[in-house]
Amino acid sequence: MNQTALKELLYKIADDQLILGHRNSEWTGMGPLLEEDIAFSSMAQDKVGQSHAIYQILHEIGEGEPDQVAFMRNAEQFHNCQMVELPNGEYDFSLMRHFLYDTAEAIRFDMLTKSSYEPLALLAKKIQGELRYHTMHAKTWIKQLGTATEESKSRLQTSFNELFPYALGMFEQSPYENDIIADGIFPGEEALKEKWMARVEEIIGQTDLKMPEVSEAKLGGRKGEHTEYLQPLLDEMSEVFKIDPTADW
Amino acid sequence: MESLDPRVSRLNIDENASLSPKAPLDQFGTFEVFVQLKEGKQYKHEGAVHAPNRDMAFIFAKEQFSRRLMCSGLFVVDTRNVFVTEYTEDTVNVYEKVADNADAQGEAQEFEFFHLMKRGKQHEHIGSIEAQSAEQALVMAKSEFINSDKPIYNVWVVKTNDILFSSEEDKVIWNTLPEKKFRDAIAYKAADKVKAFKIRQHK
Repeated sequence: MNQTALKELLYKIADDQLILGHRNSEWTGMGPLLEEDIAFSSMAQDKVGQSHAIYQILHEIGEGEPDQVAFMRNAEQFHNCQMVELPNGEYDFSLMRHFLYDTAEAIRFDMLTKSSYEPLALLAKKIQGELRYHTMHAKTWIKQLGTATEESKSRLQTSFNELFPYALGMFEQSPYENDIIADGIFPGEEALKEKWMARVEEIIGQTDLKMPEVSEAKLGGRKGEHTEYLQPLLDEMSEVFKIDPTADW
Repeated sequence: MESLDPRVSRLNIDENASLSPKAPLDQFGTFEVFVQLKEGKQYKHEGAVHAPNRDMAFIFAKEQFSRRLMCSGLFVVDTRNVFVTEYTEDTVNVYEKVADNADAQGEAQEFEFFHLMKRGKQHEHIGSIEAQSAEQALVMAKSEFINSDKPIYNVWVVKTNDILFSSEEDKVIWNTLPEKKFRDAIAYKAADKVKAFKIRQHK
């Protein structure tokens, strides 16, 4: 098994989960209604927990401690796609990102349940239930607002159009794509993208929204090229750890 | 506006801006939430969530009422679809207040029954009855429960079709719940203080 290829895969998945988990947690206390505030915060917590589990797997194959890895890297050392680091915007934007991302995430982990790399396959099986709720939540909201009022539909559509090229960036190919596929670790980004597109089209088809025009994917995140928004997020996220690495709360 | 919370500072809220109050009565209606802690246990009423419809109520209820400890099933029903009897106290069984017959028309349907056995506690699921109306279902249940060992203080009757149940395949959403100990208020040790307070009260 190609260790470099494996680590690259693990890092990008874990970094996606951590960064989006942190972004979504910024809604805590500010959600549009109390019940949704709690639901969205819980899912953000799940994501951070899932990132921790993957950093732990990385630690077991020679990488740093999970806390060090999460808090002490700079933006260019992160492998998350650019979509997850974008500022929250208004709730329509965060919801649409949650829908686009979690749909892909659930399919990715579903594929990983059959991974030849056992620690990842075990983790993927374990968190299937969490992901099922996340996609149920996203789908229910998109169907609700995607068929409700003119305002809700136009807001969602605008966010969808804006996010779509970034969403395509989730499937940026790894330099080790062929090794990952050949080793049976993961069927590859192209296979994932195809399933994701079909699923997104199916759900959008049940609303009054339209699929955006196909546009060029926003790439680079997987190679450490990020928007201006990632570094300030990292600074804020690691503020306490950098003052006192032993702090407990 | 400068705040200690960086998220608030980032919003650049104009402190001098005039704020218009929210329009009254723009909130959602409520849905009652029932939770089953373990497979085989009775469903219990846990509380209510605000939502525009049953599907939304379900996704809110899941995190509102089953984000800690354990859960094996959940259902929601629009509060307006819960038929409620009057409340009784002490030794009075509420079924004594139920009439001996009720007018009923139309097709028989299934109704779920929930009993309140202690004031201040939750309603618990008891079972279901086929009847033409909630009133008729109560009349039919009367003979079964009028001689109950313990008094029943209140009954909720809900048409089964009005309830949104968690599906068998969705039950995996609670799989990792026992591992989420970090959601418990472990640092908040109140039991000793409550005990000390009770002792003081009894002196």
